Amino acid sequence: MELLHGLLPHIVNGFALGVLFALIALGFTLIVGVMEVINLAHGSLFALGAYIALVVISPDPDILGAFADSYFSLPLVVRYALALLVAPLLVAAVGFGLEICLRRTYGKKKEYGLLLTFGAALVIEETIRLFWGPAEQSLQIPAQISGAFIAGDMIYSNYRVFAALFGICAIAVVWLFLDRTPYGSIIKAGAHDSEMVQALGINLPRLRLLVFGFGAGLAALAGIILTPIWGLRPHVGVDAVIPAFLIIVLGGIGSFWGAVAGGILVGLAVGITGAYATDWSILSMYLLLILVLTFRARGLFGKKTVLEQ
Amino acid sequence: MLTAKGKASLVPRQMLVFFVILFSFPFWSQSVGLYDYIGIEIAIWIIYGLGYNLLLGYTGLPSFGHGAFLGIGAYGYGLAHLNLGSGVWTGLIIAIAAASAAAALAACLLSHRRGIYFALLTIAIGQIFWFVSIKWHSLTGGEDGLLNILRPELNLGVTSISLKSNVALYYLVAILLAVVVLLLWRFLHSPFGSVIQTIRMNETRARFLGYRVWLIKWTVFTLSGAFAGLAGGLFCMTQESAYPDIMSLHASGLIVMMVLVGGGFVSFWGPVIGVVVFFMARDLLGSITETWLLWYGLLFMAVMVFEPEGVAGMWDRLTRRFFGQFPPAPDTKRSTQEELST
Amino acid sequence: MLKNLTRLLLAASTAAGLASTAVSQDKPIVIGITSDASGQYANSGASDRRGMLMEIEEFNAKGGVLGRKIETIHIDTETTPATGSRVAERLVSRDKVGFLVGAVSSGVANAISQVAQKHGVIYLNTNSSSPTESGKNCHRVKFVWDGNGTNFSQAAVKSSVDSFGKEWLLLTNDYVWGHNTSAATRKLAEANGAKIVDEILVPQGTRDFSAILLKAQQIDPNVIAAAIGGDDQKAMRTQVADLGLGEKYAWLNNQQDWPDIYGLPKENLFGVFGTTWYYNLDLPGVSDFVKRYQAMYPDTSMKVPGNVFYNGYWATRSLLEAIEKAGTTNNHAVIKELEQLKIPADVRMQHHDAYMNAKTHQMQQTIYLAKANLKGEEDDMFTIVTNTSPEDAVDAGAEQTCKLESFEETPVYEP
Repeated sequence: MELLHGLLPHIVNGFALGVLFALIALGFTLIVGVMEVINLAHGSLFALGAYIALVVISPDPDILGAFADSYFSLPLVVRYALALLVAPLLVAAVGFGLEICLRRTYGKKKEYGLLLTFGAALVIEETIRLFWGPAEQSLQIPAQISGAFIAGDMIYSNYRVFAALFGICAIAVVWLFLDRTPYGSIIKAGAHDSEMVQALGINLPRLRLLVFGFGAGLAALAGIILTPIWGLRPHVGVDAVIPAFLIIVLGGIGSFWGAVAGGILVGLAVGITGAYATDWSILSMYLLLILVLTFRARGLFGKKTVLEQ
Repeated sequence: MLTAKGKASLVPRQMLVFFVILFSFPFWSQSVGLYDYIGIEIAIWIIYGLGYNLLLGYTGLPSFGHGAFLGIGAYGYGLAHLNLGSGVWTGLIIAIAAASAAAALAACLLSHRRGIYFALLTIAIGQIFWFVSIKWHSLTGGEDGLLNILRPELNLGVTSISLKSNVALYYLVAILLAVVVLLLWRFLHSPFGSVIQTIRMNETRARFLGYRVWLIKWTVFTLSGAFAGLAGGLFCMTQESAYPDIMSLHASGLIVMMVLVGGGFVSFWGPVIGVVVFFMARDLLGSITETWLLWYGLLFMAVMVFEPEGVAGMWDRLTRRFFGQFPPAPDTKRSTQEELST
Repeated sequence: MLKNLTRLLLAASTAAGLASTAVSQDKPIVIGITSDASGQYANSGASDRRGMLMEIEEFNAKGGVLGRKIETIHIDTETTPATGSRVAERLVSRDKVGFLVGAVSSGVANAISQVAQKHGVIYLNTNSSSPTESGKNCHRVKFVWDGNGTNFSQAAVKSSVDSFGKEWLLLTNDYVWGHNTSAATRKLAEANGAKIVDEILVPQGTRDFSAILLKAQQIDPNVIAAAIGGDDQKAMRTQVADLGLGEKYAWLNNQQDWPDIYGLPKENLFGVFGTTWYYNLDLPGVSDFVKRYQAMYPDTSMKVPGNVFYNGYWATRSLLEAIEKAGTTNNHAVIKELEQLKIPADVRMQHHDAYMNAKTHQMQQTIYLAKANLKGEEDDMFTIVTNTSPEDAVDAGAEQTCKLESFEETPVYEP
């Protein structure tokens, strides 16, 4: 009983962490699942979203000029909400650009898309460094969602609760998009047989563009939510994209709920080893991946996809 | 388009040109603003790149964790030097053996896979090795590095040459590189070389043709690990130390970019060109601007979008346009645009 | 006839002497700056470099060193040891620099040191705070200018046991620096009557500290001594502040580099941490120094300088002054001069005199402990709590583990 009492906070924490991991993986899995492109630039888009949010929340007063005073008098909550809206849209635009670059690689082997987005990740990260510098920055969060509460004898973070709830809502919205709207199935079909889909009169290229933008926007959203916890610096994207890639393979490429389950599993692994075998906590997700893939070659809920060629 | 076996000459034109440039480098390096040390580094990375391209360009397996084997080779050599007092040859053999063993082990997990799964697993394996090298600092020296690996004496029986000077070391590395080039050239123009390309083009078909695909992939991975080990051992000898950094994800990603920009997908010489372009870009651009990596990343993206055949592919098309319709030499061009689509 | 011959020889030798001094007066002294401009330590590297350049400019304004102008070449070491080796080799063999200055990462410093020692080029490790730099990995040509993890532990631990309590938790970043620092803390704490209740090893690359912080709460110690560095420290700081745990326990952090925390919310600076210098010290020369910085660098985001800038400045200044004092750039002579370096407190802008330890080549200096200054103006982030003399903060183990190469083993180099 004593053990369980000690273990319980870590299980809850691991679960909450898992929701955050699933949120990170969300945009990634959308693009993989419906466009079957591995977007390694996901992490850099994650970082870019956070940096743009930084600009929205606390812009350089010189740029605003006359508006500076009135803008800063807006409460932080308003500016934060504005950032949550504006940053993903701007990053979605960057996503559009990336999708256009990717078009040439669609007919070819999947590695080309992977490699191209790998290059894009580097370019975006270096651009961030160029504009914002290498220093650590801080993303302010509104007082309403910061601070801590006490449960049992332990202090927990309000913000993590907010972030986990936000993650759950985001997951629900994306699932609805994929499952309950016609767009998801159209684009899935397009990945397999684009000629037929276009013959049916659907503007496939435009739809692909929009989905990629959506995925990029989700990456940005995850960035705004996670960087107040994990810190904001140009390299933070890599901390996001590797777990995201790992999670969708673990959960099974092509499976939405696989990605969610994968995220939660990784969160629990990292959270529990973080308490009892801390020096292995980072490695635990890699070991978990190897373990799962050894016994289930396609991941937990994997289906056969175009990506296997 | 498979290479016709037996038809490639032992030492084709390009190889001769390469050898001339390679062996004459110390004589003209100063006049173009270069220095011997960078020549050594480039030669070592070419060994690494050629071995890596066995996997990526020829067999079509994208490994993003290959830095692990470079690092294991480096630590292997370093530890042999410090604990066993090994000289040049013993040290390098231990480096190659250690890296091959690690690659063989990794290949057991990887050889079932290809494409995306393969790529992700190589990332995981690379991270695991990197992590161990930092954590096991009593063995590796951790982030401080494994240090004081003094340059050895090259014992040739009748005489002994000190490798302390960069020029002497350069020639050792150049000779080893020449051997690697000759070996790989023969190897890739043998039946085995054709088979691995079949696997790249269509693994299922290769299996239906009766090839033992798992075993072949395992062998190629282990071999590319062996070359990485040789490069790593030489690097440790050059730098007189070994650090975990070359095993990091960032460093592993660099070799991928280098090989692709050079045209590893279509040409044996792709890695050579790619390594040279990268080092020149870094040394020359880097002294002008701090954002050289941004420009290199953009170059890489441009190559992937417009010219996946890389520099070697562009060169091939240019020479054919200017010098008429020479049939592509069976040695240089391996795949065509049609083949690059699935 | 002999008299004429003598006169001729005298004239010839004088002419030759004049010619050679004329040549050496024209030939500048080139300093190779090996600081990071990209990678994890880019920000600190830039600050380091600014310190060096300000000092060089001040010297050049006085006519250079030994009448020779000082020039610099900077190449980015990318926080990567392999790049460090290549940069050092290039600077020495191609650009023929006289001296090498600059480091933040210990791996890069070691890579450069080996090349420097091989050629006999004096190398100043300005800002790497790894205890091994002046211990296991010391070199005859290398001089270390920063306080290391052990110095800070020495300064912090004893008084903390008395003030805060005997139950200690160690958070150790799982790499060499973390282990060395925690080992020093452990030894001292136990010697002063504390009990190390637990030690949590935090792997490098940890971003999420929630499990660790929950565990720390379950352990409920009096003091948490954190040997966490780099980006991990930045993530931990945000999360500890978020939970308000900085108030609940007495936190002992190690050295905080000014570039890493400048501009961050002061609430994130919890506990007690160390530094070698602070811009708002009430000592002679400090405010003038700060004004010179602001005049030379009006456009940087850091409006006031910190310890990294200070170490870069002082390392360079001590080198140039040593060359002047030795009267030559001969490396053996300059090394001997540096080994006897003593700088009085008022010149050094610290509370105690500073001096070079000839056996380990580490500059012994005042160690400050600070905590966050929540009340002052924006830049005034620290409140200095104590200052410890170099004798009290000494890294006792260094002399045993450091084996400097002899002068015979070190090649002569006279740029």
